[in-house]
Order: sequence, then C-alpha cells, then structure tokens
Amino acid sequence: MATMVNPNLITDLQKFGAPDINACYSCGNCTAICPLADNDATFPRRFIRLAQVGLTDELVTSKELWTCYQCGMCTARCPQEADPAEFMATARRYAIAKLDKSGVARAMYTSPVAAAVISLLGVLVFGGFFASVKAAPADRLVFGVPYEWIHLVGLVVMILVALVAVVNLAMMARATAKREGVTGKSLFGSKQAWGRTLRALWSAIGVESLGQKRYREDCADDQPAEPLYRRRWLIHFLTLWGFLALFAATLIHYGGDIIGVPESVAESVISPIARVIGTIGGLAMMYGVTWFGINRYQKVSAAAQHTSLSDWMFLGMLWLTGLTGFIIEVSLYLPQAHPQPWAYVLFLVHVAIAMELVLFMPFTKFAHVMYRPVALFFYALSRESHKQLQSA
Amino acid sequence: MTEQKPAEEAKANPEDRRIGVYICHCGGNISDYVDVEAVRDALVDEPGVVVSTTELFACSDGTQHDMIDAIKAKGLDGLVVASCSPKLHQVTFRNVANRAGMNPYAYTQANVREQASWAHQHDRAGATEKVIGLVRSAVAKTRLSDELHPLRFDTVQRSLVVGGGITGLRAAIGLADIGLEAVVVEKAPEVGGWMGRFGASFPSEASGKDQIASLMAQIKDRRDITVYTSAELTSKAGTFGNYTVGITLHRDGGDKELSLDVGSIVVATGFDSYNPDDGEYGYGMDGVVTLPEFKELIDTAPAVGKLSYQGRPVRSVAYIYCVGSRQGAGGNEYCSKFCCTSAIHSSLLVNKIDPSIRQFHLYRDIRAYGKFELEYGASRGAGSTYLKFADDAPPTVEKLPKGGLGVTVTDLLTASREVILPVDLVVLVTGMVPRQNKSLIDLLKLPVGTDGFFNEIHPKLRPVETVVDGVMIAGCCQAPRTAAESVQAGLAAVAQSAALLKKGYAELEPLVAKIDPDKCVGSGECLSVCPYESITMIEWDGRQIASVDPSTCKGCGGCVPLCGVDAIDLLGYTDAQMRSAIEELISAEAPTKAEAVKEPVS
Ligand SMILES: Cc1cc2nc3c(=O)[nH]c(=O)nc-3n(C[C@H](O)[C@H](O)[C@H](O)COP(=O)(O)OP(=O)(O)OC[C@H]3O[C@@H](n4cnc5c(N)ncnc54)[C@H](O)[C@@H]3O)c2cc1C
Ligand code: HEM
Ligand code: SF4
Ligand code: SF4
Repeated sequence: MATMVNPNLITDLQKFGAPDINACYSCGNCTAICPLADNDATFPRRFIRLAQVGLTDELVTSKELWTCYQCGMCTARCPQEADPAEFMATARRYAIAKLDKSGVARAMYTSPVAAAVISLLGVLVFGGFFASVKAAPADRLVFGVPYEWIHLVGLVVMILVALVAVVNLAMMARATAKREGVTGKSLFGSKQAWGRTLRALWSAIGVESLGQKRYREDCADDQPAEPLYRRRWLIHFLTLWGFLALFAATLIHYGGDIIGVPESVAESVISPIARVIGTIGGLAMMYGVTWFGINRYQKVSAAAQHTSLSDWMFLGMLWLTGLTGFIIEVSLYLPQAHPQPWAYVLFLVHVAIAMELVLFMPFTKFAHVMYRPVALFFYALSRESHKQLQSA
Repeated sequence: MTEQKPAEEAKANPEDRRIGVYICHCGGNISDYVDVEAVRDALVDEPGVVVSTTELFACSDGTQHDMIDAIKAKGLDGLVVASCSPKLHQVTFRNVANRAGMNPYAYTQANVREQASWAHQHDRAGATEKVIGLVRSAVAKTRLSDELHPLRFDTVQRSLVVGGGITGLRAAIGLADIGLEAVVVEKAPEVGGWMGRFGASFPSEASGKDQIASLMAQIKDRRDITVYTSAELTSKAGTFGNYTVGITLHRDGGDKELSLDVGSIVVATGFDSYNPDDGEYGYGMDGVVTLPEFKELIDTAPAVGKLSYQGRPVRSVAYIYCVGSRQGAGGNEYCSKFCCTSAIHSSLLVNKIDPSIRQFHLYRDIRAYGKFELEYGASRGAGSTYLKFADDAPPTVEKLPKGGLGVTVTDLLTASREVILPVDLVVLVTGMVPRQNKSLIDLLKLPVGTDGFFNEIHPKLRPVETVVDGVMIAGCCQAPRTAAESVQAGLAAVAQSAALLKKGYAELEPLVAKIDPDKCVGSGECLSVCPYESITMIEWDGRQIASVDPSTCKGCGGCVPLCGVDAIDLLGYTDAQMRSAIEELISAEAPTKAEAVKEPVS
C-alpha cells in the first residue's frame, strides 16, 4: 500500500528543534554503532529517512522511538554531523505533540509564550483548587471569585487532563500495536500467547522501566563522559525511584485520610513511615535532578548538548516540587505549634506544581513515563515472538 | 602539388639491386619453429641479395643501428625483414631505411611469424620451407620497387565550423587565434545552440546566454572569423587541406549560394533534448515538464520570490531522473551525463528563489561526478530529498483527486516503501539524443555510431578526428557531455586543424593508383568502382582518359583489376611486383627437407 507523504514534515519537525535532517545521506553508520539497534529495533537511520521522506505516522508510532536512551554514540560517529541522537530527541518531542490530540502539547512545545501561560494557568487552577478544599463556603479567594467556582474549574480541568492522558496513551498503544501486527488474539489467544505477554510486561515494566537495565548496560559508552556519581543512568535511576518514593509517601499520607484511618493511628504510625520514605525519596530525586541540570548546563556529554525549553521546564518543575517539599517539612519542625501562613502558601505552591507535573504529563517531557513502558512492551513482545519462532 | 618522380632506372635491371635480408628470431617466436639459419642460407645466393643474416630481435635499437650501418656501408637500395606482421613494424623499418638515406618504399616486410612459425608449430620442415618462399617472394617484390616520395600539397589556411553552439563559437575563436581563418555556418537564425537559451548554468551560476554573448563579442573583435546564420553546408568537394565547400544562405529574398575553399571542417552540430512520448511519466499532463522547459521556468522567475507555473504557485517539485537515458537494450542505452548535475543545479536555483519549496529527486543513480558531487551535497543540505527507485520499477505520475500531481515511487532507501508524493510540478530530467542531420551526414560521410552520435577514430588517442581526413567532430554531436567538455573537444579540433594546416603543406602516402595515359582507352569503367570518387575523366592528347587524384586516392586497389587493358597500377604494389612475388612463391625450389632442415639441438 502506497502511503501519501507529508511534504511539510521536515519544516514542522524543525519547530521542535530538529538538527540538520537533510545532512543525513543514509549511510547507516549510526545504526551500526547504536548499542540498542538490533533486528527488532532498527534506528536511528530509518527514522531520519522517515522524516526526510515525510512519513509522519510511521515516525510517531514506531516503538523504536522510545527505546532510544540518547547515549549519543551515533552522533559521535555520523560522518555528516547530522546529529542523529538529537534528532531522535526531537522526534520524541514531535511525537508527544502529535499524539496529543488536544493540541496543548504542540502549543507548549512550539511557543514559549504559550508554554509560560499554560503552565501558570495550571499552577493557579490547581493551587486554587487545593485552597478551595479547606476554605469556607463564603470565602472569596482570588479577585473575589467564589470558592465553589474555583473548586469546580479545578475538578473539571483535572478530569479533562486525566482523560486526555488516558486517550493519548490508548491511541499510541493502539497505533503501535497495529504497526507491529499485534492483536488481542496474539496477546491472549493461547497459553503460549499469555506467556509471551506476561514475560514482555515484566521486561518492559520491571526490568527496563524500574530496573533501567539497558540504560545502565548497553548505553554505557566505553569512555563515558560523566564520572559514576553523575552518570546518566544513575542519576535517572535515583530521580525515577525518588519520584516513585515521594508519590508513594503522598499516597500513604492522604490515603489514610481518605479511607478514614483514625487520627491517632495516622499520627503515630502512618505519618512517620510516609515521612521516612518521602525524605529518602526526596533526597534521591533532588540529587538526580540537580545533576541532570548541571550536566545540561555544562553540556557534559552528547545527550546534554542541546537543551530545549521543555527540558528545562521539566527539570525545573521536578526540582521546585522537591525543594518546596523539603522547606515545608523543615517548617514542621520549627518551634511554633501551628504552621505559619507563609508555610501554607508554600504548601499550596508545592501541591500545585506537583499536580501540574503529574497531570500535565501528556503535554510535557514527562510523557516519556507513559509512552516508554508501552513501547518497551511491544519491543519485548517482538523479541519473545522471534524467540518462539526460532525454537519452533 | 609536386609531381612524382618516376624511377625507371631502378626497374631497368632488377638483378643489380643491392638488397639486405634480415631474418628475425623474434626471441624464439620464429626460431623455435623455423630453421632460421636454413632460411638465411637459402637467401644468400638470391640475385640482388647482398646481405642475408639472422637477428635475435630485428626491432631492437641495436639491430636497427646495425641495419643503418650496413645500408650505408654496403650501399643497399632494398630492404627485407622477415619478422612479424607489417602492422606491428612496417613503420619501424621504413624509418630505418629513411634514416639510412634509402627510399623507405624499397622496404618489404615478410610476415613469417603470424603466417608461418605460429601457424605451423608442429611442422618445422614445412614452416621453414614456407618462410623461404615468403622471403624470396618479398625479395622479388623489392627488386622491382620504385623510388616513391610522399605526396605533398599546399593547404588552405582556413577552417569551416559547422554549428554555432558554444563548441563551434569557441572553436572559431581558437582557430583565429592560432592563425587560421574561421567560417562558422549556423543553421538556426541565432547562434548559441542550447547554452544560448539558458540562464544560470552549472558550474557556478554563469548564464549561458551571457557566455554566448561574450563569445560573440570576442568574435566581433577578430577579423578572421565570419559567422553565417540561417546557413547550411550544401556541398563539399576536394580533399583535406583543400576542400571546396558550398554554403547556402537562407535569406528573405531567397537562397544565396556561396563557395569557399577550406583546409579542414569542424563539425559541432550538437544534440537534441529527449522528447518524451505522450503519457511517458505523465508527459502531456498539466504540470509535467521536461528539463529544458523547467529551466525556462526558472529563468523567467523572479530572483527571490515565488515560483509559479501557468499562474499557479509551485510549492513542491518532483524530479524524475534518467528520462530518455539508460533505457536498456533497444533504447538509448547511454547515460546523458549532464542531466543529474543539471537537475541538482536547477533545484539549488529553486532554493534561491524560494527556500520553502519542497523538492523530491527520484533517481536511479546520481552521477554528479567529479566536483559536481559538491552541488549534490549542497542540494541535500538545502533541503532536497533524494529517493532511489529500481531500474525495473519506475515511478508513475497521476492526477490527485484533491488537485495537484501524485508521484508514486518505491523508495529503496526507505526499506522499499511505496510512497505517493503530492507535488505541484513534475520535472522529467530528460537526456540528450542525437540531432537529426541526415543531409550533413551524407554530405561529409560522417561515421555514425549505433547510438546515433558521431564516432571519432579513437576515444583516447584521436578524440576529435574522423576516418574522413580533415573532418573533425567536437562537442555534443559526439556524445552527451557538459558545455565545458564540449568546448574542450572544440579546442582539440582547433589544435588538430592547426596540426594539419599550419605547416602550409600536407603529406600523403604515395601508395596510390596511377593510370598509364598511353594505355587507357577511356572506357570509364573504373570510375564507378572507386569508393572515394577519386577518378575523373580528363582530356589527354585529344582524347578522354581516366585520371586518379592522388590526394584523395586511398590506395585500396579496387580499380586495378577492373581495367580491361591493365592501364592502372598501384604504386608500391605494381602488377609487375605482385606477379613476380607470386611467381617466386609458387615456383620456389625449396631444398629437400631432409638435407637442408636441421632439427633444433635439444
Ligand atoms: C536542459 C539542459 C541544461 C543544461 N545545462 C548545462 C549546464 O548548466 N552546464 C553545462 O555545462 N552544460 C549544460 N547542458 C549541456 C550543454 O547544453 C551542452 O554541453 C552544450 O550545449 C553543447 O554545445 P554544442 O555546441 O556541442 O551543441 P549545441 O548547443 O547543440 O549547438 C549546436 C549548434 O549547431 C547547430 N547545428 C546543428 N546542425 C547543424 C547543421 N547541419 N548546420 C549548421 N548548424 C547546425 C545548431 O543549430 C546549434 O546551434 C545542458 C543541456 C540541457 C539540455
Ligand atoms: C517516575 C518516572 C520517571 C521520572 C521521574 C523520570 C525523570 C526523568 C528526567 C528528569 C529526565 C530528564 C533528564 C535530562 O534532562 O537529561 C528523564 C529523561 C529520560 N528518561 Fe525518565 N523518568 C521516569 C521514567 C522513565 C522511564 C520509565 C524510562 C524508560 C524506561 C525513562 C527513560 C528516560 C530516558 C531515556 C531519558 C533521556 C532521554 C530524553 O531526555 O528524552 N524514564 N527522565
Ligand atoms: S544520521 Fe549520520 S550516521 Fe546515521 S545514516 Fe545519517 S549520515 Fe549516516
Ligand atoms: S546523468 Fe544522471 S539523470 Fe542523466 S542519464 Fe546519467 S544517471 Fe540518468
């Protein structure tokens, strides 16, 4: 079947920071050197070609886009200085925008003004929503807007954004499945199929997403630019687990509240546990994110050569969430019996940014948290199928 | 023209000739299979033979010097070398004779290697016997040789250039600068050929029109160049160095005829652009154009702004390469050579006009050779995308329902994915085809290759000469090529014309037919057989006889047997010589094998 190309793809991609796509002459050095390219995942050459020719759909719904860890070895070997590693990063930005049918991601990626306005609005809405939870019905919060309205707006935005995330993820998964020829039957049709699916799930979620195995092993260059304490896989590992720990701590803390654990139990058992997990997690994440920032600032390796606004925003929000969280925690140990008003405002800011971070996932670089595991699942599935075919 | 001296004295007493016979071993090529000593011994006592000797390598420098010394010391007036084919060394030994002060046409080569030793490797006695016969026969022919001298005649210091394209115009300037008058005959009302139509052309961006204009300005500065437009070469007579040509000038008031003497003719009639068939890659559809048409579109577009075709803006272009070239058996099998670079260069011009125009190049192989590689790189850098299709899967072009054209191609560089490119304009990168020029070809007897372009004698060593002496070919009439390469050929033709004409005279081999006026009865039979139209009837002593023009006769001998009264002789191969040679060959009394032939000592 012939596919109609999109003649404007290159120009469109350039808005997302693409390096010189046209420089590539399809030699394949980048694929040859790429530690992750194998029979089930051929890139980055093929992706640059897709961009040159204008095959948009294939570019944004191919699993390989998300199996790349951006080690930069391809860029170092490219005779044309086409910077394939940066191209892959650009293509991921483009894919996030393209997969987001609401158009918010596109606006945030292509216009700094839109990014600033939408982020600010998000913080206000989420902060307002949280403030409204504890406010009295008659309170007028901002510019005399009644709290019910704010509460409602916040709720609607939250639900909408969550829906967008679910839809985007589902669409991405469906398109990738179609491209890979994966169907319900091939996933769950037989005992063998079930086995494949479960093994692929474990590989994608356990080994790769939580264990970061290939990030650690394959993508470690012979001579990594960074010393171990700031190596990419390590600081990412700490960021990821730190974030998960913070998330867990938050769930434990408020979860108790929601399911109605008695105050005394919450005070004496749950809170200390949550606090320990949160503190360790927070430290890990702050360590990782801080080094990411420094690496990018110093352009320490190939992966840190180009930093777009979205990269800074993502790092910035993680960092702010961590920092505000720590200040609030410290404020709890201050001599006053009751929290200070400034601590309350800080708390609102902390919650607003954290919510925005998570809820704006489909529009930001954070989207990799939802797309990468799905792509890795299809990658693992394709390997499982090959293995079964070979042993058959 | 200097008359030829008859050498009656030499013929008077053949037995008194002083002939040297050299029998070559050729390393072992001859002596391994032929008893060369026996041959030498058999020749020693032949009438007229003064020297009979064997040599390891007759062609070696040392032996050549020995021969020269012997010729001088012994006063030899004939030379026979029994060795390899005359194709290999006839000139070598003629030169030996010449250097020794002997008439070079008194040299005869007996080919005893190809004709005896190699052919009869298993019959030493028989081979030896045959060699003795061949050498005796050569001696017999030499005994009757005449003293001959090259034909020498004055040359006209003027060249005719047919075709006023970039090749012809530049050649005319070169001719004038080297001191030869130049006359350019251009069929079209304007000079310039194809380059004269184009604006910016590769390499760099110099305009073709400007280049032609600058050539014309240089021509105006030179008195020795005449340019005729709307003119044609309509007749040619004479021979190289002395052609008389007729030129017809098409003028409003009717045709005018002109006659001119010229020494050489440079044919620079160029090429035609391939004209696609209706429907070939969508040709005929609105928006499908050939390369020359596209160049015109670019030339008329603003320097910076919008490119438009028939009033519609062009936002995207697809180039389909190799149209009319590399067609495989039966078609135009050659590569047109200039078109890859021309298409790439055009796309760079488009980038300059409007960098946002999207350009796809659908190619089989990119042959932007040499420095043109850089243009290829530049075009990719400027945003052109290249898609490679297989020879047996050419792209197709159709109209898209939503408007515009769709080019479907299977791209080998994208894992053989079949894609449709939606574009506003399709450019067929058309190649070169030979120009229709039948009357000129017939008139000048131009050698046409199977591809329809003119053939030079040797592509490397004689790149602009044809088998017709004094007629040269240059530029795209020889083969597809760029303007620079065409001009190079034009200047090579200038150098070759100078080599022929600048001495003021030319020399020809004297081995031509000669008619004895006393014997000729004027039947005229020989006239029709001469392929070079060298024989004419002349008045002699009050009667009509046939006469050969030695300057156009090639010495093929075709007329000799046709003459009923044996009035024609081929100098260097006269009837008497050939008869005597044949007689010697058939009557030769060879020594009986048993006594004369010694087996090699093993
Ligand atoms: C679309 C296109 C783009 C090109 N772009 C470039 C470029 O950018 N750079 C480059 O180097 N090359 C380019 N070329 C190639 C270039 O045009 C040729 O190399 C060049 O024109 C050859 O010159 P020529 O004089 O041998 O032949 P021509 O240009 O064909 O000139 C031959 C002349 O002889 C005349 N003639 C023909 N027959 C007779 C006759 N019987 N009697 C009298 N006159 C006769 C013709 O009228 C014509 O004027 C291009 C060619 C094409 C088709
Ligand atoms: C809670 C989960 C996660 C968090 C908090 C997180 C955090 C981050 C951060 C902060 C960066 C930015 C690094 C930089 O600026 O250079 C990043 C990049 C990256 N993450 Fe994650 N991540 C998470 C999940 C994952 C998962 C599941 C994977 C893969 C399996 C992954 C793979 C990557 C890769 C490869 C990059 C670098 C490529 C790029 O910048 O596009 N991450 N992540
Ligand atoms: S990105 Fe570089 S290394 Fe990879 S195919 Fe293109 S030119 Fe070759
Ligand atoms: S120069 Fe290029 S387009 Fe022209 S025939 Fe040769 S390969 Fe084809």
